Amino acid sequence: MRRARTVAGMGAIHVGLVLFAFLQLFPLLWVFVYSLQRSGDLFGNDLLRLPDDPQWSNYARAWVDGRVVRYGLNSLIVVSAATAASTFLSFCMGYAIARMRWRLRRLAMGAITMGMVVPIHATLLPNFIWFGYFGLIDTRIGLVIPYVAFTLSFNTLVYAGHLRNLPVALEEAALVDGASWPRVLWSVVAPLATPATVTVAVMTFLACWNEFIMANTYLASDDLRTLPFSIIRFEGEYSSDYAVQFACMVIVAVPALALYLFFSRHIMAGATAGAVRE
Amino acid sequence: MVDPFRNRTVIACLMLPGLAVLAFALLVPLGFSVHFSLTDSAGFGAYQYVGLDNYRSIFTDDPVFWRSLRNVLLLIAVTVLVQNPIAFLLAAILARLSARVSRVLRTIYFVPAVLSLVIVARMWVDIFNPTFGALDKGLRAVGLDALAVSWLSDPRTALGAVIWIITWQGFGWALLFYYAGLMTVPRELEEAARVDGASWFQVYTRVVIPYLVPVISTVVVIDVISSMKQMELIYLTTAGAPGQLTQFLAVYLYQKAFVAGEYGYGNAISVLFVIISVTLTVLVQRVLRALPDEK
Amino acid sequence: MMKRTAFLALALATALLPASRAAAQTKVTLKMGDNLPDRTNTWGAIVEQINKEFKAAHPGVEIVTESYLDQPYQQKVKIYATARQLPDVFKFWSFTSLLKPLIDGGFVAPLVRADFEGLGYLPGALDANTYGGKLYGIPVSTDLWVIYYNKKLFKEAGVERVPATVDELIALVPRFKARGIIPMTTDGKDAWPLSVTFDQLAWRISGDRTLPRQALERKVKFTDPVFVQAARELQRMVKSGLFQEDLMVSDYGAARNLFGQGKAAMYLMGSWELGLAAGNTFSAEFRASVDVFKFPTVTGGKGTIDDLFAWYGGNYVVSASSKNVALGRQYLLFYARRFPVLAWEKQAALPAQTVKPRPSDTPLARSILRIVAEARATSGTPALDLSTPRFKDDAENAVRELCSGLITPEAYVKKLDKAAEKAARK
Repeated sequence: MRRARTVAGMGAIHVGLVLFAFLQLFPLLWVFVYSLQRSGDLFGNDLLRLPDDPQWSNYARAWVDGRVVRYGLNSLIVVSAATAASTFLSFCMGYAIARMRWRLRRLAMGAITMGMVVPIHATLLPNFIWFGYFGLIDTRIGLVIPYVAFTLSFNTLVYAGHLRNLPVALEEAALVDGASWPRVLWSVVAPLATPATVTVAVMTFLACWNEFIMANTYLASDDLRTLPFSIIRFEGEYSSDYAVQFACMVIVAVPALALYLFFSRHIMAGATAGAVRE
Repeated sequence: MVDPFRNRTVIACLMLPGLAVLAFALLVPLGFSVHFSLTDSAGFGAYQYVGLDNYRSIFTDDPVFWRSLRNVLLLIAVTVLVQNPIAFLLAAILARLSARVSRVLRTIYFVPAVLSLVIVARMWVDIFNPTFGALDKGLRAVGLDALAVSWLSDPRTALGAVIWIITWQGFGWALLFYYAGLMTVPRELEEAARVDGASWFQVYTRVVIPYLVPVISTVVVIDVISSMKQMELIYLTTAGAPGQLTQFLAVYLYQKAFVAGEYGYGNAISVLFVIISVTLTVLVQRVLRALPDEK
Repeated sequence: MMKRTAFLALALATALLPASRAAAQTKVTLKMGDNLPDRTNTWGAIVEQINKEFKAAHPGVEIVTESYLDQPYQQKVKIYATARQLPDVFKFWSFTSLLKPLIDGGFVAPLVRADFEGLGYLPGALDANTYGGKLYGIPVSTDLWVIYYNKKLFKEAGVERVPATVDELIALVPRFKARGIIPMTTDGKDAWPLSVTFDQLAWRISGDRTLPRQALERKVKFTDPVFVQAARELQRMVKSGLFQEDLMVSDYGAARNLFGQGKAAMYLMGSWELGLAAGNTFSAEFRASVDVFKFPTVTGGKGTIDDLFAWYGGNYVVSASSKNVALGRQYLLFYARRFPVLAWEKQAALPAQTVKPRPSDTPLARSILRIVAEARATSGTPALDLSTPRFKDDAENAVRELCSGLITPEAYVKKLDKAAEKAARK
């Protein structure tokens, strides 16, 4: 009797889990299915209908009209630069926080935490004028800087958490042997911190890759826009082409999804660092 | 021998570049914001100092500001009181499944969290569309025509729909945090409680949850921070409509500055926004720290 | 080592990018901005054509255009003004709510009025762009507030003639709904079409086109019975189910598409949508059945159906901080000569200059010309755009609340009056 109830309970739980998975995936599935239809089919009565005659040409049009290559390349340049810079700087700060002994350490730590709490949107208005002084509006570097700034705090905390758990003996030995600091950091600490580096890099990359509002505010030139704008291109005048717009959404989603699937374990590790730090 | 870990030059070299970026892109702009919040600037052209006029208007004559703040608080409440418990429950179930099934499911549940906000917004706008959206089509297909409304523009459902989109997208993170936390609970603790005759429910309420108080606290703080930071999903879906029912602070300050041409006023909202975010985060942290910690 | 090289390469790439962009600019580049993202159809295609001709006439000149939809574009211009990065030549609107703040900030270069006077501009068109006695922009289109309709859908629903009154219009709602057709669409998200409709209704009721302007000048109040009644009519239209269900969140493109895709029978919009019958965005079947009628009267109102709500909105201006102000002015002169010709040839827009009817005109274009010819009086700029940006924002938010059914007509006019009072005090 009890066993039967448990089996039924387990069954219900499994059904629940699958339903939940469906809920998380359905929107994407819906978009994918209709990306292969003709635009008018969306207005039909079917909730989800597999296309009899898949319109792969929608993808070709999305690729061209969405300027996927240009925008994608822009995203790659800006996001890679931001990821590299943010990872490097947070590694340095994380190390100084975790290992070095200095008087203002707590204060610096507080400032960095504040950097995580302050909403980046509060800087959208003033940065416009401030960045304008340096001619940074409508440049790639003008986007890289805030991207680094808004990922730096979290990354520093991840590094600090990770480095704290590493044995200090190796560095001490290297320093006693007369190795220079840059050499110690690069050849001794960095290899040990690789797991944290992967986590930090992947999460920074994804966060910047998907960023929209700063790119929307700081960039003007069409030639500099980043990948999310491919989808925006299909709003308004072009928006009669729902199917092409959907195809574009799929195209834009794929790189992030691929990156995520490839590195999902590291993202999980990052979450652990985020949630389980003291 | 001099302690190499106290070498000031090294510390400065490590810290200053990063701090410089933070100062340049966060601190100085906030200073600018304070400055412009005391003016009637339109963002361009000449402007005058108006003292605390903008702040006075916000406090005495701007119901939309307060509604935006209320909506943010509501979002925090929904995240903490609805999304988190579901995420916790799911994480607890996942933690008991085989490693492989658990990993597949976790991967799926996290997918929305890695999608671009533009995709998420566009997708849900289309799903909620009353003419061709999947939701209303589905409701009509099962005869629930009365429920097939225009989700994002109907005053009865709009705020709920927007909050749904945000919590849907953020769900993966909550799940991941709790799963990671649950993985740290020592098996012996649970087993000891089971041996003492506790039911599964009691194991969780008496052993696991108290053990995880620090994790839960951290997640709640993250919830507060990320709820305050929500902007794109609102900006790209309703932009505050209908009326200003779904207005949120981050969107409101942006619209005030760049749509209404009240840059000074927008900056005043911005300054209050920062103050509220910081205060609220610190407050929540304090309250949570006062909770009993059995670790 | 690999990693290190990759990192260096990235760092270099970022450092070099601005430089390489600057190096490419050996020629003169004219930066332009407009609200026409679709460059292959109607209006956008015409601008591309003009640009091509201008470049041919001015060797060494390159034109780079940034386009966004209407409202995002207006936002962008404000952002660029804030950052002092306005394009050299850009499309804008003649209104006090939009152009005047830019002029006051010294962002717009004045033009020589005499240069443009012989170019066939309609009476008042240049005046709308004149501030403090100086001409700042060239008007591009004549804007009429009309209702487009799909003749085929009307016929299928058994509707014999177009509605002459708001009551008749509302009476059509169930007939279209029974066939699964949305009776009418408009851009509700951006709210200004609702405000314009409110003005239009007030005129239909009172027979006095100057009332909104008087209310802004505080000679009458927005709380007067005329405005209350206009607000009631507007709310009644929305509540009757006349518009698409998601009116308040559907933007310009979404509203236009529902009509163009044959999902909606009518489309409440300005005459700049003349191109619906041309181009190839929508099906040939649709293009053949689209026509237009006059905004209906209000039963018992003092206004007539030939009181035409019309203004000169869109314009082109030259940025005062541009390095190529002279070239920008030349472009405007070129544009002023070519646009009316091309726009009418392609039937894409009703220019702010006189046009000659041709036998090949689309039925839609002919109907629009007829509406202009039959007009007894014209309104001028909508009230929304006669005041400050703040008033515009307040008024838009108020009409959003009215049409969402969140406030009563009485509360709406009170909000409007308060906004007007605030704007007047400033």
